[in-house]
Amino acid sequence: MAEKKDALIKIVGAENVIDDPVTLDVYSMDHSFVTPMMPLMVVNPGNADEVQGIVKWANQTKTPLVPVSSGQPHFRGDSVPSSEGAVIVDLSGMKRIIMMDRRNRVAIVEPGVTYSELQPALAKEGLRLSMPLMPRASKSVLGSVLEREPITNPRYAWSLNEPLRCIETVMGNGEMFRTGELAGGGVSTSAREEAKLVPIEELMEKRKLTQETALYQYGPGQFNYHKLVSAAQGTMGIVTWASLRCEVLPKVQKFLLVTSDELDKIIGFAYKLLRIRFHDELMILSCSSLAAILGEGPEQISSLKKELPPWTLVLGLTGRDILAEERVEFMEKDIADIAQQFNLRLELEIPGATGEQVGDAVLNPAKELYWKLKNKGGCQDIFFLTTLNKVPEFIKTMNSLAESSNYSLSDIGVYIQPTHMGTSCHLEFSLPYDPGNEKELTMVKDLFTRVSDELSKQGAFYTRPYGIWADMAYSRNAEHMNLSKKLKGIFDPNNVLNPGKLCF
Amino acid sequence: MALEDLRATVSRCSKCSYCKWIPLAHVKSWRFAKGCPSIEYNKFQSYSASGRLSTSLSLLEGRSSYFDEGLVDIVFKCMLDGCCDVACKVNRYDLEPVEIMRQLRFKMIDHGCFPAMDVPYIDHLRKEDNMMLEPKADRGKWADGLDVKDLTQEKAEVAFHVGCKLSFDKDLWKIPQTVVAILKNAGVDFGIMGKDENCCGGRVCDMGYRGEFLKYAENNIDAWKNAGVKTIITTCSDGYHAFKRLYPEEFKFNFEVLHITQYLERLIKEGKLKFTKTVPMKVTYHDPCHLGRRGEPYVPWKGEQKKIRGQVLVYEPRKPRYNGALGIYDTPRNIIKSIPGIELVEMERNREYAWCCGAGGGVRERYPEFSGWTAGERIEEAKSTGAEAIVTACGWCERNFIDAIKDQNESMKVYDIVDLVAEAI
Amino acid sequence: MALLSEVYEALENIVGPENITEEPATLDSYAYQWMAELVTDVTGGSKFFDRPEAVLVPGSVEDVQAIIKACNQYKIKYHVFSTGWGPWAAVPSAGQILMDLRRMNRIIEINEQNMFAVVEPYCVAAQLQAEVMKVGLNNHISGAGSGTSVLANACAFQGGGPDVMYFSSPQDSILSIEWVMPTGEILRTGSMGSDLGWFCAEGPGPSTQGIIRGSLGGAGGWGVITKIAIRLVNWPGPAQMPIEGTAPSYRTQLPEENFKAAFPAFPSLQKFADAIYRIYDSEIGYIAHRQFVMWGDELQAAFLKIVTDPSKQLCDIPELLETPEIQQLTKEMQRNFQFIMVGMTPRDLAYQQKVLDLILKETGGWNIALVEEPDMQQYVLLFMLKLCFKSVNFTATGGFIDTYNSVASPDVWASGEIEAGKALLKKYAGNIADCGDQAMGPIGGQGGGGVTGWEDFVFYDPQDSESSKAAADCSDEGDRLKAVQGRPPGGMLFGLARSTHADVDIRAKKLSKSPEYNWQRKLKETLDPNNVGSGNYFWGADLSKEESS
Repeated sequence: MAEKKDALIKIVGAENVIDDPVTLDVYSMDHSFVTPMMPLMVVNPGNADEVQGIVKWANQTKTPLVPVSSGQPHFRGDSVPSSEGAVIVDLSGMKRIIMMDRRNRVAIVEPGVTYSELQPALAKEGLRLSMPLMPRASKSVLGSVLEREPITNPRYAWSLNEPLRCIETVMGNGEMFRTGELAGGGVSTSAREEAKLVPIEELMEKRKLTQETALYQYGPGQFNYHKLVSAAQGTMGIVTWASLRCEVLPKVQKFLLVTSDELDKIIGFAYKLLRIRFHDELMILSCSSLAAILGEGPEQISSLKKELPPWTLVLGLTGRDILAEERVEFMEKDIADIAQQFNLRLELEIPGATGEQVGDAVLNPAKELYWKLKNKGGCQDIFFLTTLNKVPEFIKTMNSLAESSNYSLSDIGVYIQPTHMGTSCHLEFSLPYDPGNEKELTMVKDLFTRVSDELSKQGAFYTRPYGIWADMAYSRNAEHMNLSKKLKGIFDPNNVLNPGKLCF
Repeated sequence: MALEDLRATVSRCSKCSYCKWIPLAHVKSWRFAKGCPSIEYNKFQSYSASGRLSTSLSLLEGRSSYFDEGLVDIVFKCMLDGCCDVACKVNRYDLEPVEIMRQLRFKMIDHGCFPAMDVPYIDHLRKEDNMMLEPKADRGKWADGLDVKDLTQEKAEVAFHVGCKLSFDKDLWKIPQTVVAILKNAGVDFGIMGKDENCCGGRVCDMGYRGEFLKYAENNIDAWKNAGVKTIITTCSDGYHAFKRLYPEEFKFNFEVLHITQYLERLIKEGKLKFTKTVPMKVTYHDPCHLGRRGEPYVPWKGEQKKIRGQVLVYEPRKPRYNGALGIYDTPRNIIKSIPGIELVEMERNREYAWCCGAGGGVRERYPEFSGWTAGERIEEAKSTGAEAIVTACGWCERNFIDAIKDQNESMKVYDIVDLVAEAI
Repeated sequence: MALLSEVYEALENIVGPENITEEPATLDSYAYQWMAELVTDVTGGSKFFDRPEAVLVPGSVEDVQAIIKACNQYKIKYHVFSTGWGPWAAVPSAGQILMDLRRMNRIIEINEQNMFAVVEPYCVAAQLQAEVMKVGLNNHISGAGSGTSVLANACAFQGGGPDVMYFSSPQDSILSIEWVMPTGEILRTGSMGSDLGWFCAEGPGPSTQGIIRGSLGGAGGWGVITKIAIRLVNWPGPAQMPIEGTAPSYRTQLPEENFKAAFPAFPSLQKFADAIYRIYDSEIGYIAHRQFVMWGDELQAAFLKIVTDPSKQLCDIPELLETPEIQQLTKEMQRNFQFIMVGMTPRDLAYQQKVLDLILKETGGWNIALVEEPDMQQYVLLFMLKLCFKSVNFTATGGFIDTYNSVASPDVWASGEIEAGKALLKKYAGNIADCGDQAMGPIGGQGGGGVTGWEDFVFYDPQDSESSKAAADCSDEGDRLKAVQGRPPGGMLFGLARSTHADVDIRAKKLSKSPEYNWQRKLKETLDPNNVGSGNYFWGADLSKEESS
């Protein structure tokens, strides 16, 4: 143990190696139901070289590493060690925004940069980053993007990886690797004489001459490495910076709300908008989800739940650059025509909420207390990918199982996020509960497991397979699992990166 | 030009595969996007125009031999329908797929490499002047009792050339008989060769037997000259193509050549042919290859290929394109549309990019299964329009469709345009 | 060397005797390849690469699987293609069998509601487009045009094209894939692997799709992809595009309230670049491409007149160039591109046009009046929306490759690279066609724009060895010039033809310093342990092994 500590101190410095029990205890568990496990140590690297040093050391000593980018609290179980003797590699201190480029709409950030830090910095440059729904203040941008968290504007989800572009990563075997345009040497299959990785700052200077944009994310060669580390829960590589495609900062933003008792109607309407891309932010929220977003605490949430309609489609319309107001104006007119076909209306205000309030919430990271915990202190999420038309069937099952567990239906939060240009849909159920109440905890734990299982059988695609979902997901695709293991064997031959996660 | 003279041309094929499809601009469905029956049926690349171009080059370079076992199949299992040519020439001004494939056939025959199935047909042609395997003496029987001028005995300005198919195929006799009635009624001074009519030679030329073709061409030209003929009207699209395109290429040829549809259109315009009856029917029209894209008139050209702007290939003087643009497409349609009661619907593949009936190029004689399959595909396409009948202007197409419909137990009717006209007058 | 009869028989038993051949002329038809004459160290200037040992035409994924397993058993290399136009179509070396996938041509599913289609390899883009337009959708067509395979476009090579800015790049349009792996197992990626439908490309967890293609695909040497699901976009036009015109000058008339073709042109390349960025930011445009400059900025106007007039031919070029009209047009079009605006609603189109007008005003640009003429408008709409004329790359001389320019930001073009490309072509003009600036490519090479991917076209005569040599030299010089600047090489096509037919050991040594090819070697060793893939999945030699041995 001491030997390991000394070795790590040599890499990152004494102040960045922590092994006090209080700290370790914090990292030993999270809000999920995964089995807690104490790590051996926590290290806080400050740069990519240190990360590489740690990984190389881990290979030599066969020490499991658990990479973590976001600050507390954690929810998915992926940051809790599954193996004994693991070292947490906490990257949240790597907070450099390496580059922001308005013209090419790209930024490069280190893993510790949060949305709360990045968005204001980008705004000064006239940019914004597409974001998932209200990430917590401590949420790492890189962590979110790498984990394929769905962004709220499906129009910008050209792929499920967006806005991720190029990355620098330390692979599980300790090799440093860059992808896409920033691999250096282009995208053809011809040989490159030098495989040296110049420091990113030098590369950025160089790119002023060569005018590489850091936007072309594919390859290099015949392999898309950025896909290898996506939704990988840190099992394939530790990303030390990533370039991200940014939006133009809006000049005009208008949020409209469309409500109904009938989810099918709203889904039909959403399909129309997705089809012609007449939307920016676009999502469907249940009454309880919207209440949880807008309410400051349990009482307000409870009161909002009584006012808000069963289903609300949140529609953001944006004008960014040229003719910003006109864009919003014509789109609103056309969308209103479409809404009429469904007997729906675009509202600036609904009982319990205004579009402006909702927009303000949706467009910003959550404030101090993570919004899902505001109601009861604890919350379990079940989420997966499906297609929008299948959502009602899953809701039926969720409700049925909740009823059988005596879980109040009105507490279930439903968040329907179309993604990938409307081809697929992220469906998320939130189950708030009081973690201090043993009975409730047990009930929710049981319900979580049963719902996860039943929905899997029904066709939920756990594309981001955290915790118990991993077995469910991988058992359905044996070839994919076999191949994933082979890839793991290549890129992390000693299985030092977060062993025990996914199918590893 | 002989095949070796086309070596440079064959080397410029890029293998874009446009020859396998109808011109891509015209694709209207997955099902009816294909243009080349040969590759669709035979699968391998060598069965496309592009494949035969590379085959030509392979032979010219001695990489393969004219005597290779599979080569006959590759070279001859194609109708020379020319859809490949049309599609290729949408963007290529320098490639000549059909011409190259013709020359390849000539070369094969020169080497004595031909399908074994040819023997009875060529023998019969040489003996009886037709490949219908019928006695020459029976050729004029369709005209028994019609009292038509015999051009071997008398002169006339117009020769009605019936063609082998319509002369010998009893089921189709109504067509030339109707033509006779129409021409008589219009007061046209015309005659027929009757039993002395010879094959136009077009088919045997497409089959690769250039020598036979030249013989028949020369013979026919002499016969018409002797009869004082100025205009040749034909009901056979094969014949139309031969007279319009092949004959002038080889011989001094000063005759006017009209397909019967052109003549009918002329009569309609002049008021000499009037439709008095209604024919309530939904029909679709099939463009015969030899009337359409291959029926473009011959344009004499003597010139050379040059380069401008360094390497851009041009012809000086301007070379005729033969890209199907000048085929006969509107005339038959105009006739059909002018018949009262007819509703004309179009197949997806029509005009210069029509799917072949499967009969031409010697395929019906040599590869009857492939021929029947091709016709069957066309019938499927006709059915997809909702039409009750498929109408065309070529006896070979008609026979191939009739046989395919019978084989497949289909109920679609087959008409020649002349048949429809007969019903309306 | 012919296949052993035992091997031939085994393969014949899989596909049936009518679907396998060793016939020499047929084998040659597969060996014949565009650009073969340039790879002189392999072909000696001939149009033929190596013959495959046999050609098979499988009919199903089961056939493909059985063939690959047989190849593993008998240690026979296999190669595969869809339509066979790609420069990688011929077998990379002797001793390989070739799978021609033309029998696997179905559209498996069109999911209108969720906007995707599932296709087999030999469904070409024109076929899919015709079917999806019937339900108000449209599919990506790669720059190689609508006669090419939807699947191969997305997976086999690069696959970009004029519509990428709106439709998104092919890499991002792919949903689930069915892939017969190099050892014969069948992998279905994403949601389809879990039998949940084709809608999702990724997962569970890290996406195995990433190993099926990267910046480039496996070019026929990395298993066989037998189905893909591909994302579609909206089509507000008619269910069937009405086509008029005499061959070859086809055109289409589309509703004016939804469709508009423009040729924005600019006073300088910097303004050109500025406008492109504005277009990215304002998110207008359905198709945006520097298309007709493929004929050269000096000839594009004349060419347009020729292709839209069925009576004209290339011999009309000199006369046209003498006319004041063409001279004026040539000048105006020097820095132009083709821009198709498609409004999902009339208001949408009106808005886009207004935005474009403002961009032109801002940058001192103008719309070329020629495209406002009805015939030209209709021709351009057809050309760009159906990409049905793309064998036009070979119209001028019968031969074409690319050089110099590659993936880069619009500012790169303004920095002198367009002029540099033109200067390079001019240096070889005479032995290659003399056309001027021929840097063709999409205005947005990724969804939403960001980078473009332009290539300088080189027109050469494949029948003329001096012309062929000039084209090869021009491409090589383009790579060298780029390397000096530290920019990625252009000239993908010739480079690919050469490297796919290179001696794999020599190539592997050359690639040994590249990290990605070291990873690819490991992937190949793991997933293709018998090394029966054709060799177009590249790898770098393991120098440590070589040094120690």
